[in-house]
Amino acid sequence: MKNHRRSFLKGTAALGTMSLVGFPHIWSKNYSLARAADGEIKVGVLFSLTGTTAIIEESLNKATILAIEEINAAGGINGMQIVPVIEDPASDPATFAEKARKLVLSDKCVSVFGSYTSASRKAVLPVFEKQNNLYWYPTLYEGRECSKNVIYTGAVPNQQQDDFVPWLVEKFGKRWYLIGSNYIYPKEENNYCKKLLAELGAEVVAEEYVPLGHSEFSSVINKLKSEKPNVIFSTVVGDSVVALHRQYHAAGLDPQTMPMASLTTSENEVAAMGGAAAAGHFTSAPYFMVWDSPENHKFVDAYKKRWGADKVTHFVSEPSYFQVYLFKQAVAKLAESDIDPNTIREAVKGEGLVAPQGKIKVEPENLHTWLWPKIGQCKADGQFEILKQSADWLEPSPYKAYPNQLCTATGLQES
Amino acid sequence: MKVPGKTTSQIAIYAAVCIAILLVPLVLDDAFLLNKYARYLVFGMLAVSLSLSWGYAGILNLGQAMTFGLGSYCMAMALKLKTIPVHTGSDGLPDFMVWNNVTELPWFWIPFHSLAFGVAAGILVPVALAALLGWFVFKGRVTGVYAAIITLAAMVVVQLLIIDQQRFTGGFNGITDLAQFEVAGFAFDAYGSSSYYLVAGCLAVTLFLALFITKSKTGLILQAIRDQEDRVRFFGYDVALYKIFVFSVSAGIAGLAGMLYTIVMEFASPTFLGVPLSLSVVIWVAVGGRQSLLGAMLGALVVTGVQGALSESETFLETWTLVMGLLFVLVVLFLPKGLAGAFEKIAARFERTPPGAVAESTAPRSEPIKSGREIEGVS
Repeated sequence: MKNHRRSFLKGTAALGTMSLVGFPHIWSKNYSLARAADGEIKVGVLFSLTGTTAIIEESLNKATILAIEEINAAGGINGMQIVPVIEDPASDPATFAEKARKLVLSDKCVSVFGSYTSASRKAVLPVFEKQNNLYWYPTLYEGRECSKNVIYTGAVPNQQQDDFVPWLVEKFGKRWYLIGSNYIYPKEENNYCKKLLAELGAEVVAEEYVPLGHSEFSSVINKLKSEKPNVIFSTVVGDSVVALHRQYHAAGLDPQTMPMASLTTSENEVAAMGGAAAAGHFTSAPYFMVWDSPENHKFVDAYKKRWGADKVTHFVSEPSYFQVYLFKQAVAKLAESDIDPNTIREAVKGEGLVAPQGKIKVEPENLHTWLWPKIGQCKADGQFEILKQSADWLEPSPYKAYPNQLCTATGLQES
Repeated sequence: MKVPGKTTSQIAIYAAVCIAILLVPLVLDDAFLLNKYARYLVFGMLAVSLSLSWGYAGILNLGQAMTFGLGSYCMAMALKLKTIPVHTGSDGLPDFMVWNNVTELPWFWIPFHSLAFGVAAGILVPVALAALLGWFVFKGRVTGVYAAIITLAAMVVVQLLIIDQQRFTGGFNGITDLAQFEVAGFAFDAYGSSSYYLVAGCLAVTLFLALFITKSKTGLILQAIRDQEDRVRFFGYDVALYKIFVFSVSAGIAGLAGMLYTIVMEFASPTFLGVPLSLSVVIWVAVGGRQSLLGAMLGALVVTGVQGALSESETFLETWTLVMGLLFVLVVLFLPKGLAGAFEKIAARFERTPPGAVAESTAPRSEPIKSGREIEGVS
């Protein structure tokens, strides 16, 4: 009994001292300057776990967590553990901005991995630019952004279209029907697509935008039947992708003569619409789950083992995964006392690694990523068959449709 | 004799709360928390605006976020034109217009070059729209749930317009990359105490303005309209006019709150006019107590504060929405008059305990209310 009490007292005293040592930030006022302390590096993980985009963003959250766990299990970064601070921004831009502030100002994270939609990126951007922190954005997007506070690891229009559009014109023909959701991403993709089509002498028979979340495509199907385009170029997103494919399938249209070519249909959307509706259509992306490489087999196996055998990986979850490794490589080059968003940004410039999709690297000028575009055709089992990979990795040019503008390390240059 | 006494103590309580809110930056020097609390105070102001129309005039406005969002966009438009367009560099056009191949600033954007115009528009546009909507609704003697549905529908229409007209509004992404709000060379930093004081000051002014309205003769007539609209009409009052008035004032306060929201959040988004936010306001007011301006405000602070804390704690990361839902159900079931009602009950119990003169003086006050209720129940 007595012994117990004594050991209890000892234990409490030890715990007390430990907490004093373990949480020096309570005592030291300069804690805010030491971003990496006590062998820990704090990073934010900002993907919606509730709300309208939760399904896709949860898969990005999972890929990010997987990479962090793998790195920590392998000894961390120079012996320091990565500590993720996970927040749920609930698919709401205002909540995104609030949580980003918390991660940057209150948790003092050195970097934040996050977000899927352009709207949420735009909402957090002022936080990262004014506080000079670093945001790692894994999603393909419309380009035309030049921020020194964002590392973009998803594809920009030139990386998805440069191979895809000429290939489709040669294989199917020159009459194109452009359809997209009504917001900035499809409009920018189509701006670039029209430029490529003009160079190839192809013709745009219609350019149409439907409201976000639109699910009634019968008038579109009718127009397709009367116009008979060679290619339907689709930048419809979210639930609308599922509705469009299903109604196309139900109307009995034939992917062999009038295929849909999409930049946004991944394994994730195909799983939602069912393989039958997706079969025969094309997607261009730097990554497909079936890609045959040792790195990808390792990624897919680890992902399924950690999160469930029925889970799919796709072209946004793959960058979510490899960008954490890019972060690791950048931080590993720094001394512990030097770790802050500025030094990480400088260290990640030109940094490369072999990702599941192939060897990638961060372009020092615009902080976008060199990627390996691929063309996939969907099969009835919900997976893609990869028909073509670009001969070489492709440079990211976020302003390719606008030759007088160039994103450089010092900001946007106009000529 | 009683009513002025009650009013004095009410003013004292309101003043005490306002002073407490204004003192926060003195003890708190944390950019993140100041910014967060300023955001909550904006929600408090929004709740006050709804309490004024719902709690005091019986107009359940499910579209309160419409006027809030319009205020927010007016401020964002003015601040957008103040930025150096770092992302485009083209002739002072906002970046999203360049993306949408707009070559010239649209006519309705031009006056927003003046910040003063933006601020005035942020209040007057919501007021004008509310007055117009109120004219149709209340002159047409639409009441109750039908009026609520119309307000909700109007908000959805405005939101859809903003999302659809992305060439002029930034569409789904909203208006981002804004300049700081600056008055006479003084910049309000979204993360500093200056913005907090701005929000807290505006909140104090609105609270007292709203309190003044409810205490005025107009306020009494509005409460009479809430309780028995026909009877007021038979007395010869123009019920619709009073309703339009309070509906517009409420819209003006919401517009002001929206402008402050843009300053604190540094962007405007169509989600600010969304159904989720609009219904949240109703919940805040219901939790706080709709027949108390202060209660409604505190309701907003408590609900958004708990929501923020829950969703940030690791334990509730997966379940916080569920916990929030449960809390609302409990409040509605057990505190039908909200937190303010609960406080009043506790205060009444304390008043009743001392025996003698005090107890006697409270007794007659409760009686007429009781009989009033009985009449209401009969009719």
